[in-house]
Amino acid sequence: MTKVITENDTQQDARGEKKVTHERPVVKEPDFQKIENSSGFRELMHKKKKFLISTTALFLGLYLLFNIVISYTNWLDAPFIGDITWVWVFAFSLFAMTWILVTVYMKKAEKFDAMAKATLKEFDYDEEDTK
Amino acid sequence: MNATVISIFIFIVGITLVITYFAAKRTNSASDFYTAGGGLTGWQNGLAIAGDYLSAASFLGIAGAIALFGFDGFLFSIGYLVAYLVVLFIVAEPLRNLGKYTLADMINARFNAKKVRGAAALSSITIVIFYMIAQLVGAGALIQLLFGIDYIWAVLLVGIMMTIYVLFGGMTATSWVQIIKAVLLMVGTVILSFLVLKNFNFNILDMFTQMKTATPHGEAYLSPGVKYKIPLDTISLMLALVLGTAGLPHILMRFFTVKDAKTARSSVMWATWIVGIFYVMTIFLGFGAAAFVGSDLITSTNPAGNMAAPLLAQALGGDILMSFISAVAFATILAVVAGLVLTGASAFAHDIYGQIIKKGQATERQQMLAARYASLGVSAFSILLAIFAQSLNVAFLVSLAFCIAASANLPVILYTIFWKRFNTTGAISAILTGLISALVLVSLSPSVMNPVAGAAIFVGDPIFPLTNPALFSVPLGFIGGWVGTMLSKELDVKKYSEVNVRANTGGFRQL
Repeated sequence: MTKVITENDTQQDARGEKKVTHERPVVKEPDFQKIENSSGFRELMHKKKKFLISTTALFLGLYLLFNIVISYTNWLDAPFIGDITWVWVFAFSLFAMTWILVTVYMKKAEKFDAMAKATLKEFDYDEEDTK
Repeated sequence: MNATVISIFIFIVGITLVITYFAAKRTNSASDFYTAGGGLTGWQNGLAIAGDYLSAASFLGIAGAIALFGFDGFLFSIGYLVAYLVVLFIVAEPLRNLGKYTLADMINARFNAKKVRGAAALSSITIVIFYMIAQLVGAGALIQLLFGIDYIWAVLLVGIMMTIYVLFGGMTATSWVQIIKAVLLMVGTVILSFLVLKNFNFNILDMFTQMKTATPHGEAYLSPGVKYKIPLDTISLMLALVLGTAGLPHILMRFFTVKDAKTARSSVMWATWIVGIFYVMTIFLGFGAAAFVGSDLITSTNPAGNMAAPLLAQALGGDILMSFISAVAFATILAVVAGLVLTGASAFAHDIYGQIIKKGQATERQQMLAARYASLGVSAFSILLAIFAQSLNVAFLVSLAFCIAASANLPVILYTIFWKRFNTTGAISAILTGLISALVLVSLSPSVMNPVAGAAIFVGDPIFPLTNPALFSVPLGFIGGWVGTMLSKELDVKKYSEVNVRANTGGFRQL
């Protein structure tokens, strides 16, 4: 599957006849700029960045908010149920948020994978391709 | 030390040595040594990440901190867990797609410059050494308590074990030690949590009510502010925790042990669930220790609270459970330090010797020899440091390691993947600014300079007020990278296209 064109190193022997000495694989250098500018790759990056930037802002924002609120105020010391206060509820929602976002990302990443694969296919490359 | 402790202990050590024996037979190349041949599956690597991450500081430290300080003890866990989102979203997949054995490989996929590699290796080595001293000093003190042997012998015991795993079994042995440890740790924690909940009659609401009167802190025990009273200090520390994980070299190295980005991703998913569930259970451990052991006994056994979990095991399950939990704690320490030795060795042998000195031309045999010598060197050096640091208060070194990782490694990783204009000068200045500012600020902080004798390394008024400088050093790392980039005209758009395509599609991996 790797794009390898074999070139034969040749040597002229004493009688002037060309003789194959050994095969030398030449890997074709992919045109990365062309791939980068293709509509498939651009769409992938657009969707990926949109997802990553919004979710990162969300989780870092909530995390920092939590730390700022517990450091500067005692708002979260109010009771939730019985003697469990809101600070525990917020802390657990950060746990839940982490697990939810991980699950959501796993689903999203499947789609990103498919888009990446399609882009590579378009340029006749495969995930297995190595440089 | 009684017979049960010794037999459980010997059993666990025996299993790890058998693994090392079989792993050694399969460790024939540099790739086997550093990355277990890249053949781990998602769940295996996920467990190994959890095994690498849940250090004795997590298991014994957090349980103890919750027992002594209530909610504030739990605060670390929140940062440690949310951090995995940064790892999953930003770092894991590009790292797998671009790198080979080390973080420096990944950055050098874009900048083929020795200075960049040298700077990246330097920050990795610094983090590993600090993390290692904290682990070994903690391990020495703990094993001294658990098994009643001298500190020096305790450090030597852990040190020799970790050296054997890494030297002979490389990443394969290290990974399996981490996997076994993670399973043992989860089993031990589940058993302890179950016993605690049983003693609270499986009533969570009632448990909280009882905790209001169970400790000297009274109602304040369930609220923030018992331990962390200075707002900016808390925020700075929490910033280091959430951003640091994605720059810890021993965690990053784990992503090279799987075959592709997809497996790297699923290993983070596994790790996040295991680590998260573990941290939830530390609440039961902490509450249980506070309620059924009592803070007086916990602090009189070890002032930092590190013995809370073993004492709880003793109180609820008797000698056998206590022995099992002690053995788990020992396995925990071994798994973490082995991972650290391997990471330090990779920076020395692969980055500095193989790539900078030998310019990537070292033969397989030379690479293997270098890797083993470097493992020996890193082990010996850290054992020596740990012996000399015995009487020093080194607990802050773990959060310092997170701070350096967040300040020196995270900016350069982000810029390498996402910023087209970024260049060689920028990469070097990002790493060095983050590294140096974190080190300088910490050496002027209350962690190193404290007016109370014995609280820190030097006695005196701190010049810098925050115990963890992340709030300043992380932005400085980013600014350093930006300024360095702008000072140089160098711009390689073509190379960035390659890195961008390779990082995001997983195609064209350099093998």
